[in-house]
Amino acid sequence: MYATYVIWNKHMVKFLRNREELLGLALQSVLWVVLFGVGMRGLISEIEGRDYMSYILPGILALSVLGGAVGGGMVMLDERLRGILKEYLAAPIPRLSILLGSATSTATKALFQAVLMLLVGILMGARLALNPAGWLVSLLLLGLFAVGFSGIALAVAAVSRSIAGYHGMIFLFNLPLLFASNALYPLAVLPGWMQAIVLLNPTTYLIDAIRTLAFGTTATLPLALSIAVVTLFAILGTWLALSMFQRTIRG
Amino acid sequence: MTTFAIEAHGLVKRYGDLTAVAGIDLAVPRGSIYAMLGPNGAGKTTTINMLTTLIVPTAGSASVAGHDVVRAANQVRTRIGVTFQDIVVDQDLTGREVLDIHGRLYRQPAAVRQRRISELVELVQLTDAIERRVRTYSGGMKRRLELARGLMTDPEILFLDEPTQGLDPQNRVGIWNYIRDLNQTRDLTLLLTTHYMDEAEALAARVGIVDKGRLVVEDAPATLVSNLGADVIRIRGHGERDQFVAHLNNIPFVLRVDLDTLGEFVLVYVDSGSRRLAEIVASAGANHFQIDDVTVARPSLGDVFLHHTGNALRD
Repeated sequence: MYATYVIWNKHMVKFLRNREELLGLALQSVLWVVLFGVGMRGLISEIEGRDYMSYILPGILALSVLGGAVGGGMVMLDERLRGILKEYLAAPIPRLSILLGSATSTATKALFQAVLMLLVGILMGARLALNPAGWLVSLLLLGLFAVGFSGIALAVAAVSRSIAGYHGMIFLFNLPLLFASNALYPLAVLPGWMQAIVLLNPTTYLIDAIRTLAFGTTATLPLALSIAVVTLFAILGTWLALSMFQRTIRG
Repeated sequence: MTTFAIEAHGLVKRYGDLTAVAGIDLAVPRGSIYAMLGPNGAGKTTTINMLTTLIVPTAGSASVAGHDVVRAANQVRTRIGVTFQDIVVDQDLTGREVLDIHGRLYRQPAAVRQRRISELVELVQLTDAIERRVRTYSGGMKRRLELARGLMTDPEILFLDEPTQGLDPQNRVGIWNYIRDLNQTRDLTLLLTTHYMDEAEALAARVGIVDKGRLVVEDAPATLVSNLGADVIRIRGHGERDQFVAHLNNIPFVLRVDLDTLGEFVLVYVDSGSRRLAEIVASAGANHFQIDDVTVARPSLGDVFLHHTGNALRD
């Protein structure tokens, strides 16, 4: 799939050239960790036996993946609305490679931001558990989550008629995925009805797994279940993107 | 190998209840320039999209460069170049990157890409701008870059969807010259769409007039024009127009009579304008139609269009 590489490469060139997008993504990370993390740390010194920064960092990582995915979906939306997609469609390349090019560039951006966020978090006092294998699995899970959410972003990008419409739709996903999860507060303190919602959210499983694997918190959900849910999310996201994309290019 | 670069039989494209293309037949010989002329919404772009494999026809079949556009879409894709109706080019890349990425999508080796880029950049006169971001280009420069991109893979057939739309006169003539040049020196087959009469007349060996998703008439531009008659007398006036037209239709040397869309002009096609003018003017007076203005001219492709579609061609 050489065409996938060409498209990925082109998106990366555009991404690195776009200083506003780069700076925006980097600042977003810093702001979350510094403003929210540090602020809340004054209020809550310890949670489930960990400092608050270490506690919320996995959630912020998940959020940054969302941010990166939204940016990646924008690239495909932009290419679709401008008609650049037609250049790909007229070329002798597999249709799937067009979607995969966007999906890989989106996931790359999402992971890039997650890593950036992790570094800032550590600088601000989050403490990783000494568990390199766990870090690796966490990164892999973040990657899967990025694929899943990129899928959603690309699916929306494949059908949106405008940039504003895209952001509106994405916002609908973005906020609940963060707040209706265990990102900022432990599952145990939530009322029963909200727990039910939170348990439907794949973000919850990602965060719980990363907390366990990379930050040494005791798992509140079975680790195997968390990994299964995140993997399933990645598959569903990809399937969604694929079916929406096929719908748009069928013409 | 067939002698036709593009062949289509009964091409139809429907979107739900809307029929964009209602059955078009085409046969474009190798090495020729063919222009599809028609107003916006006539179905020209939809036809091009089917021929360039962007969309699948609802019915009918087409082959381009000897390959079926549905069954052998990839074969078609490797042999054609396309420029789209809107300017479609990445703003954040340099001109060179746009061409290079295009070549990579078609798996051209690096050496070939480099050679093609330097040839084409010279052809479309972008040598000084090629390292600059496309963002800084004017509309004409972007169009020229797109033309170069369409030629990057050395296609057998080039599709140009409204190649000069929105360009200033200088750039239009520039693009025309490239098109003619390419056709003559490289034996390239070109299919272009346009809603500019002069463009079709200036470039194409054959013109197909498209209206409401159908190919209304097709021929060499000169033949289309001469079929209407030697001259057209355009009359603007007021009074008993219908009576006047009825009378004209009974005169033997009047080949046909048309009204323009607004009913402002009566167009009388005759064998010789200068010889018949006096008689026509006299018959207007006899039929209570007062003439405000009268001109004699050779029919234009615009008159052909009006004659076949009943509509004047507007942008």
